[in-house]
Amino acid sequence: MFRRWKESRRALPSPDTLMPPEGVPLTLPIAGVGVRLAAQITDIIITTIAAVCLVILLLVTNLTSPQTMVAVGALLFFLIRIPYYVCAEIAWNGQTLGKRLMKIKVVSHDGGPLTAHALVLRNLMKEAEIFLPGTLLLTLDAATPLESLASLVWVLTALLIPVFNRYRRRLGDMMAGTHVIHLPVPVLLKDLASEAPRPLQNAKKIVFLAHQLDHYGAFELQTLETLLRNQGTPPGSVSATQRDATITAIVEKIRKKIGYADPVPPADRLRFLQAFYNAQREHLEQRQLFGDRRENKHYAKGDAET
Amino acid sequence: MNGDDLIRSARFRKEREADWRRLEQLVMAAESRGLQHMDFAETRDLASLYRQATTSLAIAREISLDKALLGYLEALTARAYLCVYAPQQRLGGLIERFFTRSAPQAMRRSWLYILLGFLCMALGTLAGYLLYFENNDWFYVFMPSELSGGRGPDATTESLRDSIYGHDTGSTGLGAFATYLFSHNTRIAIFVFGLGVFACAPAILLTFYNGLILGAFVAVHVDRGLGPDIAGWLSVHGVTELSAICIACGGGLQLGAALLFPGDRTRAEALRLAGRDAVKLALVAALMLIVAAVLEGFARQLINETGPRLAIGWGVGALWLAWFCLAGRERS
Repeated sequence: MFRRWKESRRALPSPDTLMPPEGVPLTLPIAGVGVRLAAQITDIIITTIAAVCLVILLLVTNLTSPQTMVAVGALLFFLIRIPYYVCAEIAWNGQTLGKRLMKIKVVSHDGGPLTAHALVLRNLMKEAEIFLPGTLLLTLDAATPLESLASLVWVLTALLIPVFNRYRRRLGDMMAGTHVIHLPVPVLLKDLASEAPRPLQNAKKIVFLAHQLDHYGAFELQTLETLLRNQGTPPGSVSATQRDATITAIVEKIRKKIGYADPVPPADRLRFLQAFYNAQREHLEQRQLFGDRRENKHYAKGDAET
Repeated sequence: MNGDDLIRSARFRKEREADWRRLEQLVMAAESRGLQHMDFAETRDLASLYRQATTSLAIAREISLDKALLGYLEALTARAYLCVYAPQQRLGGLIERFFTRSAPQAMRRSWLYILLGFLCMALGTLAGYLLYFENNDWFYVFMPSELSGGRGPDATTESLRDSIYGHDTGSTGLGAFATYLFSHNTRIAIFVFGLGVFACAPAILLTFYNGLILGAFVAVHVDRGLGPDIAGWLSVHGVTELSAICIACGGGLQLGAALLFPGDRTRAEALRLAGRDAVKLALVAALMLIVAAVLEGFARQLINETGPRLAIGWGVGALWLAWFCLAGRERS
């Protein structure tokens, strides 16, 4: 039964993908519990600072006496906190300051616009789920173990619901029909293949044959891409020697695997890798166009088994 | 470098990169300024470039193995999607709509749950009242000591009368307002709503218990012949405040009922539907509690006659009722 449950879970589409009307699945990665907690803590700090400032202002202007200060402070924290979350999320379309810092965002579960109703609901429920039992836990002492236990169970239930949920939704998210995503940051790096390796005057062009390019798949290619992109970033001497050693090892490994006969001189190693990347990518992309996707170097074994 | 010596996916990228960059700019502008403040030409470009970018993404997934390019397009189309299909809502008229339409309509729609809330409270009060007359010691069972403030079966009639008409201890105005808002009843109201979500039973019990306290408290005073006086003292803010608790209870019950009896829907879906009205009930209850705090913090300290106290309390109550019953009806 457990296995069937597991299989039914696997059959579901990934929670990260969203199908827009254009019919091209998009990726909106679900934000984890940790990053949301961090955003939450940032927001709590911000609202606490605001409340403390106001209390000090009230004290300075003699509007409140020290006896009632605690009550007034608690009231202000309460009165600042709830509108802060609601107004910030309405004004920034699903982001508070903490969420902006953590680059996460509330989106509507069905992919549509966020309604004010949904934002008010999810933030009111935050009070009922976390803050109330939380403050209760803080204010209670050992004299009332039953109430402490009850609020502890309450907080734990509220915290566990998102963990056991595909979309990491709180109770408030479920009621409001929202969930929280990582806001993707589009950064377009340079295309490695367009920076063609410049052949030195006396060096001959590095050429690979088709059978030499049949050994690797997309995974190895993209690993190589990451390696090449990281070149030249850290100029430190220790890491530089380490890097050189890595590159030497990789070049030797590739040479042995594909049966490349000529030795590669140390000055040409990067050029060799660059040329290999280009040739390999062209080769794999061409294979892919003909329906031959090669995920990694074990692609041939998978075919043999099935 | 000419385009001929590039491999296919690099050429693909070179041809479209300018459009993607433009889309990136438009997305940033839409996110920072809002779609409403953009030119017609810009929004038109945003929509059409977004569609081009999704096509690019689909093609790139087929023909390109450039991880950087794929990542960029994934992120760019996702951001653009949110701009095109999930734009920011306009905020104008939000508060007005809440007061004139959505709140009273929600109140009327969930009258049954609110009635249940009032019923819990009323039954509790009745039980507390009768139990007190059966045995005075019940008072100490129900009443938390910090709430009674010396008022109980042992107190003299005079001291009871004093606490009703006496100018309260030093704190008036802002201080009383604040201490009040964090008093017992506000906490109860928030708790009955919060507990209602997790299951109905705690919310019902808590409301009932609150009724018990109230009943016993009233009974102490009635026992000494202070019935009308305590009615006036309680009415000033109690009408608003106790109704707020019952309404919060109604909202909680609505959510709890959706969780316990979702019918043919999934629980999450049932919760979502119930939440539409429940959140409005919670907001109404919060509003009523703030009004009650103002009444207690200021009105009760200033007015020391039973008649005007009754009039204010029930007058405000009638205003609430009029709002719930009359506002926001559709004209046919």
